[in-house]
Amino acid sequence: MNVLRNIFDALRPRFEEGGPYHKLYAFYEAIETIFFGPVEPTKGLPHVRDSLDVKRFMALVIVALIPHLCFGIYNTGFQSRLASGLATSFGPVVWCGVWLVMPMVIVTYVVGFAWEILFAVVRKHEISEGLFVSCMLFPLTLPPGTPLWQVALGISFGIVIGKEVFGGTGRNFLNPALTGRAFLYFAYPASLSGDQVWTVLSAGRTSVVDAFTAATPLSVSASTPATQTVEETLSSVGYSALKLFGGLYPGSVGGTATVLCLLGGLFLIFLGIASYRIILGGVLGVLCTGFFMNLVAGPDSAPYLSLNPFYHLLMGGSAFGIVYMTTDPVTATHMKHVKWVYGFMCGMLTVLIRVFNPAFPEGVGLAILFMNVFNPLLDHIEVQIRMRRRIPNV
Amino acid sequence: MISIRSPKGYDFSIQGAPQDLVEKAPLPATVGVLPERIPFIKPRLAVKSGDPVAIGDLLFTDKSDDRIRFLSPGGGHVEAIHFGPRRVIREVVIRCASDDEPAQSLTTPITPQDIDRCPRADLVAHLLKGGVWPLLQSLPFRAIADPEVQPPAIYVGLDAREPFQVPPRRYLEGHKALFEFGLRALRRLCPTVHVHADPADRAFCDAHQEVITHAVRGRYPADDPGVVLFHIRRSSEDNPSWFIKGQDVLLLAEMLQTGRYPTKRLYAVAGTGVANPRYVASRLGAPLKSLLGAVACSSPRYALGGILRGYAGDPDGHMGFYETSVTVLPEPETGDFLTLFRPGLDKPTYSRTFLSALRRTPLAMTTNVNGGRRACIACGYCAEVCPVNIWPQMTFKSILAEEVEEYLAHGLLDCVECGLCSYVCPSKIELAAVLRDAKHAYRKEQA
Repeated sequence: MNVLRNIFDALRPRFEEGGPYHKLYAFYEAIETIFFGPVEPTKGLPHVRDSLDVKRFMALVIVALIPHLCFGIYNTGFQSRLASGLATSFGPVVWCGVWLVMPMVIVTYVVGFAWEILFAVVRKHEISEGLFVSCMLFPLTLPPGTPLWQVALGISFGIVIGKEVFGGTGRNFLNPALTGRAFLYFAYPASLSGDQVWTVLSAGRTSVVDAFTAATPLSVSASTPATQTVEETLSSVGYSALKLFGGLYPGSVGGTATVLCLLGGLFLIFLGIASYRIILGGVLGVLCTGFFMNLVAGPDSAPYLSLNPFYHLLMGGSAFGIVYMTTDPVTATHMKHVKWVYGFMCGMLTVLIRVFNPAFPEGVGLAILFMNVFNPLLDHIEVQIRMRRRIPNV
Repeated sequence: MISIRSPKGYDFSIQGAPQDLVEKAPLPATVGVLPERIPFIKPRLAVKSGDPVAIGDLLFTDKSDDRIRFLSPGGGHVEAIHFGPRRVIREVVIRCASDDEPAQSLTTPITPQDIDRCPRADLVAHLLKGGVWPLLQSLPFRAIADPEVQPPAIYVGLDAREPFQVPPRRYLEGHKALFEFGLRALRRLCPTVHVHADPADRAFCDAHQEVITHAVRGRYPADDPGVVLFHIRRSSEDNPSWFIKGQDVLLLAEMLQTGRYPTKRLYAVAGTGVANPRYVASRLGAPLKSLLGAVACSSPRYALGGILRGYAGDPDGHMGFYETSVTVLPEPETGDFLTLFRPGLDKPTYSRTFLSALRRTPLAMTTNVNGGRRACIACGYCAEVCPVNIWPQMTFKSILAEEVEEYLAHGLLDCVECGLCSYVCPSKIELAAVLRDAKHAYRKEQA
């Protein structure tokens, strides 16, 4: 510890005002504060400050996401070896998954961090930790086989256009990870949609083995024949409710395990980092919309309308989106009560896009981005209502 | 007794609480008055260095209203007048020669029999002449009350929830009759006098139940008159109410009864930085050194008036006119190693992101900001704690955008300057200072 302290103390003058690397101070500061908490006396009003800072706030979101990353590595490796007809014992599966997923994570962090450093140096502010969360979220939303140059391009778009051009973390109105994801989706649909992108084949195979279902539950659901219910079709290809809950099926890297989303959501709510209003609102939005469609579904309507609403939470990335994407505090509504509305609308739009729009099997990302744009309006409405109730003091 | 509840706020659990004993300090060698720390006045000095003064002699007046007088809390001579940048008058220091009261009293004493018949104008004149008028302050700006104005109500706070203050049961001990006399005097100024106290101290509330009008439950700053006003006001006409602290009512009452300038003060001396935290009975304007005793940390911060609302005092200086507490906290020296990765059993926090959230033992605090400055991430903690339902995360942005109508409509003037929004902010934004400065700028514009 003292050795480290001495190293930092020796390096600090080079990065401070007048030092040769002063421009890279933001970089130095980011590294130092990982090891040693910052020291700065308060100026009064108040003399004391809470121990919580943004660094810890964001680090805890990353803590909640680590199980998703680990599961994503396992699941990607598992699906890859299964589809290639290889043995699925734990060691090789993890090894395979690490080789598929970690390059995407590393590319995202390197590119994202480079952009953040550049903007921090030019704008002369410290590096904001929101970036680390965005860079963790982004690869988890991608199909496992996304080419690395697309990963780099996507996170660049997300960080620069989604965040930095508006002034950086805290001033953006779109979720940066989702912005990058949506950009890739529309710019390179061939590598990000269809049934083939969700599984990466190993050992030089060019086609999946016969018994393997490469289609995701969402595309299976959307293409259910009129004679069957969606539940029947799903279970006929092996997607039981329990399997969907567990998440061991082809899909985006980190978004399939609903059980982990449930645990992560509880963790973040318990710590007071994610707003329970948004998460519950989102869950309610999905369930109510699903249930409403059950009610309006007639004998001739598509079977997707009659799907048990809980399946919408189990399949695809809706749970992941609701727990981790809607709750980004910067792009969510800033006022308390409209968080319910925001969450509900995200859930509702997710289901509507899934069921009624054949072009988009998954709707959660677009629903959240769409609602991000509306959040200033929702905030304005709540502020106006609550200001009117106040006894004025002017 | 009306029971009200202030649902927001935050209770601090900090080490260094004073022991429940009162130490009597001897007559200090010097006493001081700090014009710089009296809100919104422009002092005009009436003495110069070397002048002899007696207790109750005029030291300075307010340039904008020379009836607002500040008197000497000690007899002797003016030892020094300290100026700060731009010739702001920091301190008038009086070297005490004796504790003798001057032969002549400032005003004719008012007996308890006469107080209810005393005309309001006479009472105002007495208080102004006796130098205790500035103890009455007016909301929302917390400026000294305007003698020409009849307020809608006067709030008397028998409460002390900011760490660490003298609890009312200590300063009212043996002064019940004097306090009630003071309340009768306040009722001559304004018929509506609200006396609010914390019902958690049941013995105290029972002992004074005939004078306490409002029992205010809730966390800090439920003791603030602005918070009580926020919860009981019926219309915006109630806003420009006056307030006075419980201990100051005793000064006011003593001045009226004796006709002399009162000088007694009970201070709370606390914090992890003092070896012996306790209450000290001393003088108005007592020197800090005479109160502190042994200081137990190498680089101390002396917060006068409380660790949230107070200001940093000079260890060689004196206590201000309004402040009745000094809390000594250590300044931060080195950053904690790998603090980011620690569970944080010993980290005081409002949030639930440290394990300390699970226990309720008092924790040590320093004056560290505990983090780097970031843009607002809209976590909403500030709005969760704001006792008067302002949304600081919205209001500070409209202040920075200079949207005057908007931030006034948000309730800026209801802000009680409790400092909690800044305290909880993980982005370490100076919310409380931004809001207070906007209030002060608005006041200046109105004047």
